[in-house]
Amino acid sequence: MPRKSAGLLIAALVALTAGLAACGSSGGGGGSPSSSSKVLKIWWYEGQGSAYQIAWDQAITDFKKQHPGVTVQFSLKSFNQMQQNASMILNSSDVPDVMEYNKGDATAGLLSKQGLLTDLTPEATKYGWDKLLGPDLQVTARYNAKGVMGSGDWYGVSDYAEYLMVYYNKTMFAKYGIQVPTTMAQLTAAMGKFVKAGITPFANAGNDYLAMQYLYEMELSKASSQDVQNYERYTGPVNFHDAAWTSAANTFQDWVKNGYIAKNSVGLTSTEAGNDFETGKNPMMLSGSWWYGTFEGSIKNFTWGTFLWPGNTLNAGSGGNLFVVPKNSANKQLAYDFINDTLKPDVQKVLANNGAVPISTSTSGVTSPLNVQLIHNFQALASDNGLAYYPDWPTPSFYNTLLAQTQDLMNGASADQVLAALQTNYNQYVSSLG
Amino acid sequence: MTYLLPAAVLFTVVIAVPLVMNIYNSFTNWTGVGPRHWAGLANYRQLLHDSEFWASMWHSLALVAAMAVVPAMLGLIVAAALFDVIAKRFGPRLASLLRACIYLPQVLPIIVAAIVWGWILDPQYGALNVALRDIGMGFLAHDLLGDPHTALLTVMAVLVWFQLGYPVVIFMAGLQRTDPALSEAAEIDGATWRQRLWLVVVPQIRPEIYVVLLTCTVASLRAFGWVYALTSGGPGVSTQVPSYYSYQSFFTNLDVGYGSAIATVMTLIIVAVSVVFLWVQRRHAE
Repeated sequence: MPRKSAGLLIAALVALTAGLAACGSSGGGGGSPSSSSKVLKIWWYEGQGSAYQIAWDQAITDFKKQHPGVTVQFSLKSFNQMQQNASMILNSSDVPDVMEYNKGDATAGLLSKQGLLTDLTPEATKYGWDKLLGPDLQVTARYNAKGVMGSGDWYGVSDYAEYLMVYYNKTMFAKYGIQVPTTMAQLTAAMGKFVKAGITPFANAGNDYLAMQYLYEMELSKASSQDVQNYERYTGPVNFHDAAWTSAANTFQDWVKNGYIAKNSVGLTSTEAGNDFETGKNPMMLSGSWWYGTFEGSIKNFTWGTFLWPGNTLNAGSGGNLFVVPKNSANKQLAYDFINDTLKPDVQKVLANNGAVPISTSTSGVTSPLNVQLIHNFQALASDNGLAYYPDWPTPSFYNTLLAQTQDLMNGASADQVLAALQTNYNQYVSSLG
Repeated sequence: MTYLLPAAVLFTVVIAVPLVMNIYNSFTNWTGVGPRHWAGLANYRQLLHDSEFWASMWHSLALVAAMAVVPAMLGLIVAAALFDVIAKRFGPRLASLLRACIYLPQVLPIIVAAIVWGWILDPQYGALNVALRDIGMGFLAHDLLGDPHTALLTVMAVLVWFQLGYPVVIFMAGLQRTDPALSEAAEIDGATWRQRLWLVVVPQIRPEIYVVLLTCTVASLRAFGWVYALTSGGPGVSTQVPSYYSYQSFFTNLDVGYGSAIATVMTLIIVAVSVVFLWVQRRHAE
């Protein structure tokens, strides 16, 4: 190689590595500091076309009207991208002013504990968020000094909620003469009818969050509110060999044995389970309100509806993801104004009309009866203090543990062994909290 | 010296610094956010008693078989057959075409190939089970990736399919430089095809065999994409491997220290394997 081009190559490589190193330290992103007083930087990771994106775009429009002269810079991120680089991004000076983040101890709680988020308590009072969000929804907005949800200061605000329900295929229910079940006995009878007709009643995905949610709803049918608080917020001892968990593990395994849930769903993902419901392969699916918009768009061959898990007063669900304000945000006041805009009636109505669960209780202007039912069911739960959060929240590794253990349960591992594994993982984390 | 500078800079930035940071992290408790807490050997002590980690190590051995041992053996036979039989009887063009076909999986992005295999093996709609049912052999239809007894074997089978092309291409290149006179002499002396392959050809392409075994073994110890896209380590932990376990510890369990400890152990094993291979190769070369 001639000397000159070798020199060029070296220069290029050095420039490249220096460039890479610079990327690493700045956390990416542009924006000159001099103009930052007039810029509101917003990050979220809800996909294009989702109810949330449509509603939050509306909030941006409202915000721009109220703040002429302020430029809104929006970036679409992915949750993994945010989580894996959270510390680097939020410790830098180039942070968003307001961003979406997952609710729960292992996510927003962790950031609040490390002092990376702004305490929103004064704003919650000032803007009246503490009145708009009922006690059940406030649980995921507030974190104590240890980063445990449910008490302490406000570190985020959600403008929507979510909960689990049974989606059912009305056309198939009518075909087999089955009424919407209101008790577990009726549900069992209905499942028996489907099995007799060669149909697996429930869609499930063992390689995703679905299987653990069946298990959790079964556990909640025998659990008390205090049990839920102990489980999610470490307010008391948790015994996985108690009556509720033991019965849930046995019932879940029986359901697989009886063919209410297909054994070969053990390796499926939530998308595949959703497909199984959409194509009419399974007449029912237990999952979250986040499917609503998808089903409204994609199911054309049959009519469908929803009902809450029969017989439960406690039901998995919570406030939605949070808008948080990073500690280093340059324009906190603008960020608060934007958060407040997401809670305004017009944005709430957009959420409702696109199949999300708004915080607002008003259903005026909500056109589809399905969407009205979605809101009513949620309000019934929330007014009863019936929200029981999600099974995988207590420890950061509980999602992986529950996923592996429910797969083992489906493949015939003993309930005792599975519950012991859950207990070990749970205890390990709680003792590390100190 | 100036010629070494770019490589030295790259090595420092891309390998040395991350390696040292990883080893340091493995001695700490860290969620990935906020301060690290010194934990001494606690993570390594936990590894010793972690059944999931040991299961993942055993699975790693299985993947060495699936990605290095079996492909190298099969690859040798396929390469010899293409070189000796197909090329001689049907012309080198057909041999090249077949070689390209066998190599094709290596060109596919792992995640794409894994997702497609996931579809093929789907218990309900997958091409494999549907085909078995359609030809009246539905009793053989099985949830291969969902049954803990078959999941690892299925992943191994897919890996053999994926990996086979690599040794075939390397071995065929090696066969080009073997001395045909030796094989012919052996043939005249009455050696069978198998004897010629094993006693005459294999000793001549030993360097290629070492390269294939070394690179494939290292690749199998790092296998991540296949497990990530096919099974996520499940059902249960029946296809868990150290690289995926390390990733889970890092990013979903927020236990960066533990994930680093797993990564450090794997680095040591990979370095040890490489050193042993290179040492054996040098001894044979002398």
